[in-house]
Amino acid sequence: MMAEDGLTLPSSIRGFVQEPNSNPNPNPSANPVKKKRNLPGTPDPEAEVIALSPKSLMATNRFICEICNKGFQRDQNLQLHRRGHNLPWKLRQRTSKEVRKKVYICPEKSCVHHNPSRALGDLTGIKKHYSRKHGEKKWKCEKCSKKYAVQSDWKAHSKICGTREYKCDCGTLFSRKDSFITHRAFCDALAEESARLTSVSAPNPIFRNELMNGSISNPQAHIIPQFSSVFRPEFVGSEQLVGHLNADGQKSRLPLWLDHGNSHLNNHIGVNTNGSFLAPTSAGLPEMVQTAPMSMYGSPASSQNQWLQRCSEASFTSSTLPRVLKEEEENKGNLSESITSLFSSNQNQQESSAHMSATALLQKAAQMGSTKSNSAFFSTTGFGSINSSLNNATPFSSYPHGRSNNQVHKFLIRQSNQSDSMNQLINSTSPSSTMGDGLLMGDMNSTPLVDTAKNNMDHFLMVPSNPKQAQQIAGKFHASSNEVERGLTRDFLGVGSDASRPFLPQELAKFASIGSAMGMSQYSGNH
Amino acid sequence: MDRTLFTPKGTYFFHHPTQQSNGTQPDMQSSNNQPQTSHTSTSRSSDSGEPCVTGKWASSLLKECARAISDKDSSRIHHLLWMLNELASPYGDCDQKLASYFLQALFCKATESGHRCYKTLSTVAEKSHSFDSARKLILKFQEVSPWTTFGHVASNGAILEALEGETKLHIIDISNTLCTQWPTLLEALATRNDETPRLKLTVVVTASLVRSVMKEIGQRMEKFARLMGVPFEFQVISGVNHLGELTKEGLGIRDDEAVAVNCIGALRRVEVEERRRVIQTLQSLGPRVVTVVEEEADFSSSRNDFVKCFEECLRFYTLYFEMLEESFVPTSNERLMLERECSRSIVRVLACDDIEDDTGEDCERREKGIQWSERLKEAFSPLGFSEDVVDDVKALLKRYRSGWALVPPQQGEDHQLGIYLTWKDEPVVWASAWKP
Repeated sequence: MMAEDGLTLPSSIRGFVQEPNSNPNPNPSANPVKKKRNLPGTPDPEAEVIALSPKSLMATNRFICEICNKGFQRDQNLQLHRRGHNLPWKLRQRTSKEVRKKVYICPEKSCVHHNPSRALGDLTGIKKHYSRKHGEKKWKCEKCSKKYAVQSDWKAHSKICGTREYKCDCGTLFSRKDSFITHRAFCDALAEESARLTSVSAPNPIFRNELMNGSISNPQAHIIPQFSSVFRPEFVGSEQLVGHLNADGQKSRLPLWLDHGNSHLNNHIGVNTNGSFLAPTSAGLPEMVQTAPMSMYGSPASSQNQWLQRCSEASFTSSTLPRVLKEEEENKGNLSESITSLFSSNQNQQESSAHMSATALLQKAAQMGSTKSNSAFFSTTGFGSINSSLNNATPFSSYPHGRSNNQVHKFLIRQSNQSDSMNQLINSTSPSSTMGDGLLMGDMNSTPLVDTAKNNMDHFLMVPSNPKQAQQIAGKFHASSNEVERGLTRDFLGVGSDASRPFLPQELAKFASIGSAMGMSQYSGNH
Repeated sequence: MDRTLFTPKGTYFFHHPTQQSNGTQPDMQSSNNQPQTSHTSTSRSSDSGEPCVTGKWASSLLKECARAISDKDSSRIHHLLWMLNELASPYGDCDQKLASYFLQALFCKATESGHRCYKTLSTVAEKSHSFDSARKLILKFQEVSPWTTFGHVASNGAILEALEGETKLHIIDISNTLCTQWPTLLEALATRNDETPRLKLTVVVTASLVRSVMKEIGQRMEKFARLMGVPFEFQVISGVNHLGELTKEGLGIRDDEAVAVNCIGALRRVEVEERRRVIQTLQSLGPRVVTVVEEEADFSSSRNDFVKCFEECLRFYTLYFEMLEESFVPTSNERLMLERECSRSIVRVLACDDIEDDTGEDCERREKGIQWSERLKEAFSPLGFSEDVVDDVKALLKRYRSGWALVPPQQGEDHQLGIYLTWKDEPVVWASAWKP
């Protein structure tokens, strides 16, 4: 249709080529529909397209009072101000529906919203978009140094910065992102390819590519950390899932989430999943499940039970994901909207506090940042290294040192049986620590405790050969070291009244041998 | 001999100064069994005003002993060593701990058994060293103190900025941080850029303690990089005895790669005379950026003056131990292990001569930032940290307890020779970036 205004162009039909990240079902969610809104980036074909220059777009106070030159953002505000000058004023009414809807395009030529068919319907929206995408980031978060171009974005971020907690697959909570990331990289949960339990994570392109490479042969391994919420650890290429997917209508979502334009994934997923997995839940994919590591030692059967139990108490909430993602919004508006839609319609859990998997966030963020360059790389090297790492993965239950000293073992078993207070003493970071970082969850106690006990032992003790000494030593750990040491005295060579005085044997020997050399024999009165 | 006065918790007997009337003379060799001798030191440690709770008895006693050793006054040495032994304890308060670890070094120095002691300590440490214990230790330390993470954040920031836009990155990591620096870098690479570059990480390992765990660490890094979606390659170079032997070929540096060299706590491990050569070697690798992080202490220029070196050593480790005490919970096992690691360094610096008989870089003679800058200026030019990186570091420090601060790059100078982390206004760690 033609119009007088040279700026107006007919919008082409919806269905214009979408940007790679966009989603055929962008977000209709947040608004209970009060008025008819077009989907973002897909304007009403009848609308009038307005192209503003960057200068006028970013002008904040376009309405100026003629008397005092005060600037206002809206005409209404200026009119009200004019009353104060006793000037004639008129508040414009909301005009009737003959007025055409205006849509705005981004002045930046390289921007996708420069095209009238992708114009945005809101002036404020286009202003914010322009700032975010093409503007200078003037606002900086104090806590995390993240920069924002739009003040409202920055404010919104500052409110939640630092309040969000990250939860590792092993169960530990973190309030700091950097310590979470470092922990995650070294966490046993990451390394536990053979873990029975599923872990929460969003799929990422790497995972997708791994599947594409036909890595079904070793499904358990790499799938677990990545996407095992959907896939059982010990799946047997069952085709049932495909059927389930179709029946549940999940299939349509899978390609969106997992696969930006790649449809191979569906088939692989179908092969790789166990139908019974999905049975308890209707929402297989978004049902991200938090897992605890405790059944790492368990048999498949038990882990299955546990998993089924956990389904019902899925703590990962799809609602938290969009909230988190909104932080990325300014850069990844379309994608986050699509994800929001994906999960919000699936939401069947209350929003629980801080239970979302930050791994999901990390991967999501990684996914957004990475491109197809990944696929080429991983088709060759990535897969190889997966296998090698798998083969070398340390079994979780073995002691790190592989020591076989019987007395060590006995002592350690005694230790692990001994007291929970020791657990807490050794394992707990101070709950009142200012960092707010969480405790290592109880389920991991046995190994860290044993490990710590072993370290304690190695460093402090001559190997105790009787329970009494072990008790004494354990007693030392309970009390604060100051109190323990107060009553002990020893002579120069460290041999004191208390035989279990921790003194490295090496030091003793050294003192003894050297003492005599130095002519300090009066002090070498050992034993 | 009244033993009750010589409790390891030294403060007790300081509360009874009136019991000992005599003994203001330092030379008490005949009465080294008497309580008065301790009181002697009390009265001399009047630098703190009142010699009880805050009395830094360890400092003065230790310095006295160092002087005695330097003077070769053997009876006095005996006397002081014995006193220190009575008071010292690795499980006590800061003074007691310092006394304990420095006593060990002084003893070794006096008996010329430094090397043997060091080897023993190293062997013991190696035996109990494992991936799990090392990981737990280092992560816990990073959680409670920015001592190491300061350097990580600054270095990562400098590296990311210097290699911005490159598609093939190769980082040569010569450091003692067991790759804990890299997860955040990987995450930044994944999220920051539209095109995630490829990263190759080559870790050069010289300390034998580290070699054993590198395999496990490598696996974790690979897995994590996969998780992040960063194309990643990892290799460990462990056959190098001497950093001066590094070559481009040996490290697998290809011509199309953008190289960054990351030295955290590494240069101090090079024997002092070799440092120049090592820096030249680094230059020969053709890096775009070199990040150097070192602890701020000078054990190098005074290495021929035992007392001076001792005092500097004591100053630095006092800071370190106090920092540890305030950062960890009192019953922390990790803190204990960190303190023990210091004992090796202390023995190495004070009681071992710099003989080149070691299988690796174990020198531990730290230098201050200014000194390192002088050396590095011969091969590189300073690269200042950008405002963003400084802001990141500030944000990092905010996440820790109070007491930590940042000395930003000096604005007035032509060149910004790095930034300092301060603990209670004392500079403790220095971080810098350099370009060719």
